[in-house]
Formats: sequence, structure tokens, C-alpha cells
Amino acid sequence: MTTIDGFVTIVRDELGLAVTADNVGESFDRIPGWDSVHLLALLVILERESSVPISMPSVLQAGSLREIYQLTVAQ
Amino acid sequence: MPTLAELFHAGTLATQYDQVPALLAGLDGAELVKAGNLLARLDPDSVTAETCTVTITGHGTLNALVPAFTAELARHGILARTTVSDFDSYVFDLSTPTSEVYRSELVLCVLDPFVVLDEVPTPWRPDDVRTVLDEKLALLAQLAGTYAKHGSGTLVFNTIPLPRDFAGQLVDLASRAELGALWREANARLLRLMADNQKLVVLDLDLVLGEGIALTDPRMSVYAKAHLSPALLARYAKDTAHLARQVKGHGKKVLALDLDETVWGGVLGDDGIDGIEVAESYRGEAFRAFQRVARQIGAQGVLLAAVSKNDLDPVQAALRDHPDMTLREDDFVRVSANWRPKPENLAELAADLNLGIDSFVFADDSPYECGLVRHELPGVAVVQLDGEPALHIQKVLRDDWFVVRDLTAEDAQRPARYRDELVRKDFLASFESIEEYLAQLGVTVRIAPAEPREIPRVSQITLRTNQFNLTTERLQPADVTALTEDPACAVLAVHAGDRFGDNGLVGVLFLRREGETLHIDNFLLSCRVFSRGVEQTCLATVLAHARDTGCAEVLGSYRPSAKNGKVAELYPSAGFTPWAKHEDVTVFRHDLAEIGAAPRHVTLTVRIEESA
Repeated sequence: MTTIDGFVTIVRDELGLAVTADNVGESFDRIPGWDSVHLLALLVILERESSVPISMPSVLQAGSLREIYQLTVAQ
Repeated sequence: MPTLAELFHAGTLATQYDQVPALLAGLDGAELVKAGNLLARLDPDSVTAETCTVTITGHGTLNALVPAFTAELARHGILARTTVSDFDSYVFDLSTPTSEVYRSELVLCVLDPFVVLDEVPTPWRPDDVRTVLDEKLALLAQLAGTYAKHGSGTLVFNTIPLPRDFAGQLVDLASRAELGALWREANARLLRLMADNQKLVVLDLDLVLGEGIALTDPRMSVYAKAHLSPALLARYAKDTAHLARQVKGHGKKVLALDLDETVWGGVLGDDGIDGIEVAESYRGEAFRAFQRVARQIGAQGVLLAAVSKNDLDPVQAALRDHPDMTLREDDFVRVSANWRPKPENLAELAADLNLGIDSFVFADDSPYECGLVRHELPGVAVVQLDGEPALHIQKVLRDDWFVVRDLTAEDAQRPARYRDELVRKDFLASFESIEEYLAQLGVTVRIAPAEPREIPRVSQITLRTNQFNLTTERLQPADVTALTEDPACAVLAVHAGDRFGDNGLVGVLFLRREGETLHIDNFLLSCRVFSRGVEQTCLATVLAHARDTGCAEVLGSYRPSAKNGKVAELYPSAGFTPWAKHEDVTVFRHDLAEIGAAPRHVTLTVRIEESA
């Protein structure tokens, strides 16, 4: 998962959220079906996929899925 | 077959929910959680499937439990309707009988170490922990007591694991030992709460932590108050889903085992009786250990069957004559050794035992046979073994396929009774007509109010019986007790026997008197005694009793389920006529003008007392 498209695919397949490359940068409240509890599930999935630890406080403070993606590639 | 994700994204997963168990078969770990994330997003109202209402409450953040539990329950074909309570609201939930919790079929109250640790001062000594543990145990006992009085389902607590990072804060080993002792004493008290609370189950988390699952993820614990690791919650979901499956009446009853490379090492047809491995060698000892476990399970009422591609004679000889064999022919209700496809053998055995095929668990080392059974008989739980016999035990026991809340006296005798049943079938085959057979069978029926000691068995019949169950209403032991104490109600236990032996307590009639009307609220009969006049005898008895005690009519209800089609015509066949219909329930009425006699071949003993 090194591209934003790969990230979008993971969010769609793993969490079942209707995310596209177009709305991945929107704030969470504009993502249909988003719930803050998804953050923890997403973190577990991303760490599993990328095999590197990701800063949880940063994920919890992120404003959008794109920001979370940027945290994962910044590792 | 499309994948679960494909169905989800196509928007058809809800309408094709019946395919979900097959799609989830064989999935575990991350794959199953992934499926759970999708399944948990479905609107339960859009799905047609049997549902289980569940409230998740407890101390920490527990949202990760929802997809895990949803997926585990979906494996069994059941849709979870899950409510997650507010954070840390278990005390409020359980002490408020009007709360949502009290209407759920299952209440998962997840206890984590911070239930205790949050209230321990800094710095602390073991005595401070003792004080908190004592308070918490008293609180939990009180909450469980309130639930026992007002709850309508099953409440689940779990033991509270002791984290290394907590015990490790004590630098002296003597204090650490003291902490370990008092912590475990508290957990022992917690486990013992089950003994006098029929609505409570306490899961022992030490057992699953011993599998090497992390207790906690420190980051999630600190940052998100999710104190139990996702892997532990997933394992907890597996165990509680099996409990839910049992509560919903889908207990597994049969363990069908392959023989070559499953029960013994080697191939009997090639290696001969002396060549197979059952003891005294590296692999032989692994198979002996597995045979002991199978025997142990069988001793608790699970029916063992052997299903093997072999000639019958050498298999019987091996089970009878091999000096080191642990399992013997008598341990199995049937040994099917032939060259027919295994699904055929399993289906035939299910028919002969009068059990649903979905009450079977099948274990085999051959991926081909496992795949075939999965494909042909999707209701069968398949345990895929492999060439490493030392892992057989773990694989068969990992899922709690045979879990029940309590064993009853009936359970120990069940395998022998089912074996008798197969003998009866052979006896039947020797007669020209069914009447001649029944006349020779010498059926006896005894109908009497359920004794207090019979209440667990009566509850078990309501939980296990699917086919001859007129309304499929499941009752926990406490519910049965309440009915026996209600002066307007009678709970009649039906015992049956014949020349081959005593069948034991095989059926229940739930009666309720309302003015001049006697209601048959439910009527259940074990599948072992179908079609030999027991059901007609019971109904004739109830009708005569109603007439003799001044009733003007008897009303009986039938609610169709996926399994009870064979009793749809029971009431009409006994002279009842359709009288009313409420949604899916048909109420039948008998005006007591003409009551059919009990079948002549049945010897009947009746004792019915109603206080009202």
C-alpha cells in the first residue's frame, strides 16, 4: 500500500466505506457511514498491511482519511 | 461463488445472507474480522435470518467486539442485532431492570483489568488491591443477582486477567506472589457466581490467554481506553458466539470422525490391524491422546460416529481386537465404513438418528473429504485436520462446538440411548407393518408434573429440540422454574420407554389454564421417540384431562420455523380445527366433543395436578 489508490481500496474493502479518490480528503463527517470507532480498526489494518507501527495519537487527531494515509507513508 | 466483499459492494449481501455461512467457512483471524466489518454495516432490518439480540456493555472501549461477534455469529447463520452501551456504563445498565440490557437475549459484560486498576491508589500495596477486588466482587455479585431476578436472557461475565505490567510494578517477589494469590482468589469467586445463578455464565479468559493471545495493546489501552487487545476480543467473540448458538437452540450433537490418519495413524487397508498407529510410538501416542479426548467428549452426551472409506470387517476388527485401541465400537453410535461418498453416510446417519444434519461436526485429515462435505452439506461444521496428529485435539476443541451451560443426568446416557434407537430401526425392518412393529415394541409413556430435579432437562429439551417443537420458544432453567411455580400453569414431563430400554425424559407439555380454556403453550418431543404413538398419547391425555376438569376447550399454537414443518399438521390430526391466526402463529381449537383414544399399543401412566 504505497499509493493513495491502494489506501482507498483497503478502506473500501476492509471497512465497507464508500470512499473514493475524490472524497478521501474530505473531513470525516462528510464520509457516509463514518464513525470514530473506525479509527482503531483502520489503524490495526494499516499496521498489518504496512508492517510498521504508526503513531496512534497522530491517527486519533487526523482530520481526514488522506491525513491518515500521509501518516502511513511518512514512516 | 462471489465473495462476501463482492456481494457487499453489489448491495445484495442482505438478501443473500443465507450464503454467508458458506462464504465464511474456513476463515479466521484478520480475514474473519474483515468480513465482520462488512457484515456489521448491514441494516439488520434488511436481512432475513434468525437473529440474536445482544447488548455489549462493560468497562472500556468495546466497539471492536461488534464486527468480530457479528462475523462469528454469522458463521452459524445467525444475524447479530448488537447494541453497544455507553462507555463504562455496565453498573448503570445492570442495576436498571428497565434498561435495554434487560431485553437482550445475550448480555456481554466485558470486564478488563482497569475495572480494578482505575481505583487502585498510587503508590499501592497488595492490600489496596484486595480492597478494590472485594468491592468489585460484591458489586458484580449484586448486579448478577439483579439480572437473575429481572433479566430475560443470559448474562456473560469473564474472569479479569492480571497484567504483567501491573504485577511487575511490585519489585519484591513476595508481594507479587501475594498479589497473584488474592487476584486469583477474586477470579475464583467470580467463576463461582455461576453456581447459584442460572442466568449467568462466567468465561475463564485465562484459558484463551494460554493460547498466546496478547492481553492488551498498550497504545490502544492508553489512547483509546480499549483495554483488551483486538485479538483477545476476537477470541472472546468466538466463544460467546458459540454460547449464543447454543442459546438459540443450534447446539451440535454429533462428532463424526474419519478413521485413517484421524483416529489412528496409517491406512488400515494397506497397513493392516498390526500396522496402524494407536499407541507406543511417537505418532501412535498422538492418536491415543486424540482418542481419549473423543471418548471424553462422548462421555458427556455428544454422539460419536465413525465415517471411513474402508471395508467394514477390518474396521470392526480393529476397533474390537487391537489391544491398544482406546476407542471401541461401543463408543460410537454408528461405524460407517464403506466406499460411498461421506456426505451420503452423514445424511443417512442424521436421518436414522432423527437429527438435523446441522447438528453434526465432521473431522477429517483429507482436504478432499472436508471440501466435499462443506459443499454437499453446508450445515455441517467441518474441522480440517492434517498430517500432524499432535494438533488434532487443538483443532477439534478450538471452537467450542459442543458447549452447553449445564450437563444434565440425561447427557451421560444419550449415546447408549441413540445406539438403542438404531437397534430399534433394525427391529422395525423385520416387520411387515408398522402396526405389528408397534404392537411388539411395548411402548410405555408416563406423564407427570416436572420435578425440581428435572428442570435442567426440561430447559435443555426446549433449547435442543427443533423438529418437534410447536412454538420454538426457548426456556432457561429459571424460566421453567417460574412456570412450575405459577398456579395457572402446569409443566408436564413426558417419559417414554419400550422393550429396548428407558428413553428417559423425552418430552414436555406446557399447559396454562384460563377460565374454561386450557392452553397448550408448547409441546416438545425428542426426535428419538417420534412416530410410535407417544405424541398422540400425550394429546389424548391432555384433552381427556381438560374435559374431566371442567374445561370447555383446548387451544394449541403452532409457530412455523425452518425446522418444525413435520408438526404443522399435529393438531389437525388430533381433531383440532384452525381457530385464529396471529401473524405467523396458527391457533388450533378442540371443542372436547369427541376425543380420540390414546393408541392401544401404548401403556400409559398419568399424574397431572394443577393447583388452579
